[in-house]
Amino acid sequence: MTAATAPRSARPSRPPRSLVGPVALVIFAAITWWAASEEFGLNFDVPRLFSNLTRGAGILAEFWPPEFGVVPRTIGPMLETVQMAIIASLIGCALALPIAFLASRVTSPNFATYLIDRGILSVVRALPDVLYALIFVAALSIGPLPGILALILFNIAVVAKLLSETVDGVDPGPIEAARASGANRLLTVRWAVLPQVLPNYVAYSLYAFELNIRASAVLGIVGAGGIGNLINEYRRFFQYDRLAVVVIEIFVLVIIVEWVSIWLRRKLV
Amino acid sequence: MRTARPSRPSQRTKRIATAIFVAAVAWAALTVEVKIENLPRLPSQLADIFVKMFFSPSPEWEYFGEAFGSMMESVQIAWLGTIIGAILSLPLAFFGAKNITSPLVSNAMRQLLNAIRAIPEILVAVVIFIPMVGLGAYAGMLAIGLHSVGTLGKLSAEVIEGINPGPVEAARAAGGRPLQIQRWGVLPQVLPEIIAFWLYRFEINIRASAILGAVGAGGVGEALVQSLIYRRYERAGMLIIVIIVVTILIDTASGWLRRRIIQGGGGAKPTDAALEDRAHLSMAVAGGAVGEAGGSETS
Repeated sequence: MTAATAPRSARPSRPPRSLVGPVALVIFAAITWWAASEEFGLNFDVPRLFSNLTRGAGILAEFWPPEFGVVPRTIGPMLETVQMAIIASLIGCALALPIAFLASRVTSPNFATYLIDRGILSVVRALPDVLYALIFVAALSIGPLPGILALILFNIAVVAKLLSETVDGVDPGPIEAARASGANRLLTVRWAVLPQVLPNYVAYSLYAFELNIRASAVLGIVGAGGIGNLINEYRRFFQYDRLAVVVIEIFVLVIIVEWVSIWLRRKLV
Repeated sequence: MRTARPSRPSQRTKRIATAIFVAAVAWAALTVEVKIENLPRLPSQLADIFVKMFFSPSPEWEYFGEAFGSMMESVQIAWLGTIIGAILSLPLAFFGAKNITSPLVSNAMRQLLNAIRAIPEILVAVVIFIPMVGLGAYAGMLAIGLHSVGTLGKLSAEVIEGINPGPVEAARAAGGRPLQIQRWGVLPQVLPEIIAFWLYRFEINIRASAILGAVGAGGVGEALVQSLIYRRYERAGMLIIVIIVVTILIDTASGWLRRRIIQGGGGAKPTDAALEDRAHLSMAVAGGAVGEAGGSETS
């Protein structure tokens, strides 16, 4: 135990090379090859893509100039799209509130409720809104009602998921205080949890409303009311100059709603 | 005479907002032409469809191969679409970050990304790519790719704005050219989080591509629409089972991977929930009013 310590090199030794990076790259390449290949996948190749795109560019010229004469015909369906979004957001966000509380470990009365609620939420979330619209259209025939119902489910999925995670992260102090003063579960949620998450709830709901405007614009493509019906009609008859008008209107609507919603969130939250 | 209490803060904005809200709801509820008389038969109709889908006759198991195959096409559309979106969005994100370019350029870029995001992918498929490249998976893939650019570009730009300026200064001090500074000073800092967003977007895109078939843009949606229109509910049931199972499996795998990527370095450890929240909420709070409140789309 005397002098014979090995001379320390000035540099620390290199950590051993990790295999994670190369393995991930190989997996990535394999999936991409599978997806792009001719025999298993989409037969993707870049030169063909560009020739497709350049050939197709001529068709886009048919969108110009937009046929603004159809504007009066589009106003009714556009308003219906907004109405669907408003009603569905209101009902969906209201329903999402209790569901979110049941889906958080902090506020759920017991573990079984928590698990069941989470499970249902993840199944609801796995299916896209247009599929719900299709099913409701099959059950109720076409019109805005199936669209509204589909959007309600969609809202519950988005808002309850986000809100339940916010509830998971609340400050436990007020909850303990409420319990200590003898509040039951409902009172605790009302006075100790809700005030903490309310700003987030408002923000999520406004966000959901924005998503709804976009979603309800396309639900009509499968017969669920709103402007989408008209999109379907125009595209079926290759009336691209009219389709251009609808696209411009949807674009303007989405941007306006986004501005208002951002402004409101700044003011309220 | 001054009271001891400070005066109440102005309630004007709140009142205006409430008034707008009430008026909007009243307008929508009173004027929408909903056949509300249809609503009572909804539960029995839904129950009927549900039973036909899953119980009697049971889902058509012989149809599983075909259903699975078309779901795989949707997954492929989502995968390639996400790659297209990722490749296009990464350079745009650098231009959209305030700390990399001038405010003028970054603002213009953000507006462009927002504009791309405003048009849903189904509409992009219907309006741009189906006319250009014809019906099929190609149109779906391109629509998803283009739409993803908007969200991914915005989220990535926000990540880039949050970097530690140290390495950038170091790269500059060492004489790095502008591109080298980005490559060695910025990219290593942001890549893990950006890759996590790519994966998250892939999960969202699977849902999107599952429905693109409704307009003829390839994938499982086409079969689903056909089966529902022609009331082949036993097939629809099979398709729905396949969609749910595949979606949840991929979500789980991708979520695990995202956690690994973010936590890999052993540095800060944002949870999965925080990351997902952030993806949604940075959309939800565009402009940063809430900041990271509560930790934190979609979608």
